[in-house]
Amino acid sequence: MRYLFVAIFGFALGVAAAGAVLYVNPLTERSAPPPNSAARVLQYSLPDHVLEFSVGEDARLFGQDAGDDSLWEETIDRAAVLGLVLNDADGRPAAIASRLMAPSPENDLLTSGVLVSDHWLVTIPSEGTLFVHASSNAWPFLKETLVPVWYFDRPWKGPAEYWPTVGPRSDDSALVVGLTGVLRGSEGSAVERYELAALDPERRFASVKGELHFELAGPQVAAE
Amino acid sequence: MKIVFLAAVLLGFGGTLAGAHFAPWREHARLPSHTTVVANGGRAEQFLIRLPADRIAATDAEAGGLRGRGGRAMALPAQFVVEPLLVEHFKLRDAAGSVIGVAARHWTGSSAATSTAAWSILIPSRGALVLSAPGEARGALETALRARGFSAGEAWAGQLAVPMVPDGDGVVAAGTGEFAGLAGSYTETWTVAAVDEDGTLSGTIELGTITSKPPSEPQ
Repeated sequence: MRYLFVAIFGFALGVAAAGAVLYVNPLTERSAPPPNSAARVLQYSLPDHVLEFSVGEDARLFGQDAGDDSLWEETIDRAAVLGLVLNDADGRPAAIASRLMAPSPENDLLTSGVLVSDHWLVTIPSEGTLFVHASSNAWPFLKETLVPVWYFDRPWKGPAEYWPTVGPRSDDSALVVGLTGVLRGSEGSAVERYELAALDPERRFASVKGELHFELAGPQVAAE
Repeated sequence: MKIVFLAAVLLGFGGTLAGAHFAPWREHARLPSHTTVVANGGRAEQFLIRLPADRIAATDAEAGGLRGRGGRAMALPAQFVVEPLLVEHFKLRDAAGSVIGVAARHWTGSSAATSTAAWSILIPSRGALVLSAPGEARGALETALRARGFSAGEAWAGQLAVPMVPDGDGVVAAGTGEFAGLAGSYTETWTVAAVDEDGTLSGTIELGTITSKPPSEPQ
């Protein structure tokens, strides 16, 4: 009986130690290098700039009401569709973005984190449309903010800044492909940054200011 | 006793880390792909959108016309209301009619010569497919409907197929997951079966894709 008790206690201790290692694991903290100053920036603010948000029934992080016409089918019940207005650096509306998101099949809490495949289709009127494929690591946000504050009622120590982009390019930045207009045929990289400016679980309210920094190389001559 | 304790600690520690690394996350449900092999070795696959059921949202600007009705309206900022810009979000079905993904379509341009269209299609269990093409002229659907007797504010029923992408002009521009590295072409046809008095379209959008691995360049 004593051996059993010691084994259970030892096992629990081992699990707790591994949990602590996973919590501070630097492998899941990596992110793309910050963009250089030449990168173009498109900004968004949530919830102000949201045109439309449809979320799968099993993808609701903030307990949102998915509504009657949610993404309920089992093939898309963990996907989300987000329509956004993007502002330029001067704060004027400059683009419309559609973000199609779903958990990545490459999730791994030991080596990469909780990854979301994020597909942006961004149209800048008078310039064209570009596609951004990003792997975004949600683990730092989940462990530092969402789980303790939203689900365990711990006080929020915000604002908090996150650089979620971790791929798929070799330098951990997102891939950008110019599709139409003057952007057509160009390729480049992108990095997303967002700042959680307010979080109030009682009012079910979160406020986010985000930026998409991107650089394109190729035949296009992007208007600034 | 010490050995049991240390073994249990190691087991708990190693097992948890191994579980974090190897345990499979819940995978996205996947339905069999309805693909066929075409003569040149490519792979043909058709996707379907049923209107109005699969329309998630569309922008409310002037360029939307009938396509801006049904689903949720995305209210554009004032600066974009008169822009030739239409953004639509849909659920996506396979050829058998089962919902398998979500899609976004962006259209810009005021004439057939300058307009462009781009699709981003996400099938969570398979990856994303990105399509682009010269777009249809502004109001192409309304123009075709009027030629068949449609009048705004009145119900219309019939069978009208409107190709939105000229044959051979639609290209597969990018892909991720199992679509990564594929090249190819696509066609897009809107088939309208009815228009309600309030302008809600009933019909289908058919996306016919042909994809293949581009030949590797000689070393």
